Amino acid sequence: MSMLEIKNLHVNVAGKEILKGIDLSIAAGEVHAIMGPNGSGKSTLSYVLAGRGGYEVTEGSIRFKGKDLLEMSVDERAAAGVFLAFQYPLEIPGVTTMTFLKTALNAQRKARGEEELDAVRFLKLVREKAKPLNVTDDMLKRALNVGYSGGEKKRAEVLQMSLLEPSLAVLDETDSGLDIDALKTVAEGVNALRSPERSMIVITHYQRLLDYIVPDVVHVLSQGRIVKTGGKELALELEKSGYAEYGADAA
Amino acid sequence: MTENATRRFIEDYEARREVLPGVDGWLSRHREGAIRDFAGVGLPHRRLEEWKYTDLGRVLEKAGIEPAPLLEGAVLLPESRSAAVFETIDRHVLVFVNGRYRADLSKAARLPKGVEIHSLGDVLHEQWAKDLVERRFDEKRQAESIVDLNTALMSDGACLRVRKGVKLDKPLHLFFFSADAGASHCRNLVLLEDEAEATILETHLGEKASLADLVLDISLGVGARLNHIKLQDEAESSVHIATMRARLAAQARLSSFTLTLGCGTSRGQSFVLFAGEGAEANIDGAYALKGAQHLDQFCVIDHAVPSCNSHTLFKGVLDGESEGVFQGKVIVRPHAQKTDGRQMTHALLLSRDASMNAKPELEIYADDVQCAHGSTVGELSKDALFYLQSRGIPEAEARRLLVLAFLDEALDLAPHDEARESLRRLVSDWFAEADI
Repeated sequence: MSMLEIKNLHVNVAGKEILKGIDLSIAAGEVHAIMGPNGSGKSTLSYVLAGRGGYEVTEGSIRFKGKDLLEMSVDERAAAGVFLAFQYPLEIPGVTTMTFLKTALNAQRKARGEEELDAVRFLKLVREKAKPLNVTDDMLKRALNVGYSGGEKKRAEVLQMSLLEPSLAVLDETDSGLDIDALKTVAEGVNALRSPERSMIVITHYQRLLDYIVPDVVHVLSQGRIVKTGGKELALELEKSGYAEYGADAA
Repeated sequence: MTENATRRFIEDYEARREVLPGVDGWLSRHREGAIRDFAGVGLPHRRLEEWKYTDLGRVLEKAGIEPAPLLEGAVLLPESRSAAVFETIDRHVLVFVNGRYRADLSKAARLPKGVEIHSLGDVLHEQWAKDLVERRFDEKRQAESIVDLNTALMSDGACLRVRKGVKLDKPLHLFFFSADAGASHCRNLVLLEDEAEATILETHLGEKASLADLVLDISLGVGARLNHIKLQDEAESSVHIATMRARLAAQARLSSFTLTLGCGTSRGQSFVLFAGEGAEANIDGAYALKGAQHLDQFCVIDHAVPSCNSHTLFKGVLDGESEGVFQGKVIVRPHAQKTDGRQMTHALLLSRDASMNAKPELEIYADDVQCAHGSTVGELSKDALFYLQSRGIPEAEARRLLVLAFLDEALDLAPHDEARESLRRLVSDWFAEADI
């Protein structure tokens, strides 16, 4: 069954057309990589999926598990199973990571008509999910992302994903700002979440991340369109030839 | 319009001068002087820098200037969350209704030796009360003309004296309720002698068109410690003018925190005078305003001697068409070296029609000091909201979470553990219901 079905998607940002007719179909369990030069529209696509304001869909449709995604609010999308791992996770002073995680998980459970977790069950669950990602109790007690290193922020994003168990995870430049060790930890965390019921979109500029999170399909996005689609070997080709042949300026 | 209000206050004084407490002693002479000074300056108006943002004359046209009725029979105290917020704390309680002490509703028994709690009328013959009332803090007297008004008309109040080295066993809770339209004029006096300690909680609840006029005079002896928490939750048509004047001897510490969740027009003034070295004052507050509420915080910290620390932080959120004002001044006198003075105010505007005026000032005449002041006015970060929503938190809840997180830094400063947690819950409940 199709998890995500994007048809002829056109998106304007501040009156300027950024996405110019995207078609993309992702089946359940598949991992798709979207690669492309800076300014090709990769992040725009991730924000449109998550529902951020300021992104105007002028044409086309997005169906998620058969439902019209564009009709749903940001939090409704999250509760339905869309998760965006941010390129730059926000710092939220005054809200501890623990409070945030509990509020988010219970809000989603409530929206789905499930029972909310009490403090004890929640704590047990969080500790279980945090351990393999090296997210310490100390980090959980601190304000969300405040004073976290680049690696800690990305690990915290993966922890959120692991806890919220989305059906569609969109990873926006998850490799940015990570050294190789941090990249491995994050990739292991992501790989542990691969399952036949979960699809992923991995957005990246570089091939490096795809050595660790191996995609089923690779798309090249350039100037708001998908210009080429192939298997994982396409990423390796791009690493050699660059994006020049897709009409982009050298990044 | 201030002329009209000024005249009505003077008429009120003339009508009641013979029945106000202390008619036969020093106070009646002092009241005469105070009303003369008040008449000379008049009710503060907006042409005065200190009152630029608050038009007291206009709001007093609507609120009752004439005294609120004297209620002696049964009174139904409000059952709101704010009214109950300190109820779980083991405490002494003095209740004032329409500005008058109600022994029948109060509970302050078995006080430790060395602690005296009285109503104003009972201490007026004592020298310490006279000393506290007669002090002056504001050289230009523009902010103190409302203190003159209070001096002339004060009818009741709570007076606490804690003798040297004695600790008040549990907090003293002063509960003020304006049940009717009209004015109440209260003067509260607090004297902590050397090394004495006390915690005071204040609750102010007011119904429509009430005027609460309050002065809290504090004197802290060497090494004395006073924790003070004030909660204000009054009706939108009420007026609240309150002045705290504190003199700190060496090594004394005053920690005062005000939470304002409801008011009509409110002016809160704090004057702190450091009179001995090594003392510390924390004058902090948090507020949440909506509708047409107006809150003006005015704070002057006078470092008259060396080596004292002062800290001021006010944080608030403003919705609807509400207006906030913060005017603060830290004065460091020429010989007051090693002063550490900090004054910060941060406001979050939740609506396009809300406004905030902030004016923190430093007046430094010494060279070996650490002083900082700052002010920010902002709105909720759209990026932060989107981030929270993208994790499934509905917008309203995300906003509440961010607003509470913003206020938390100030709420942390409330100087009593149990009271602080109660206030935190109160604020959280308030936002859950406020539809902000």
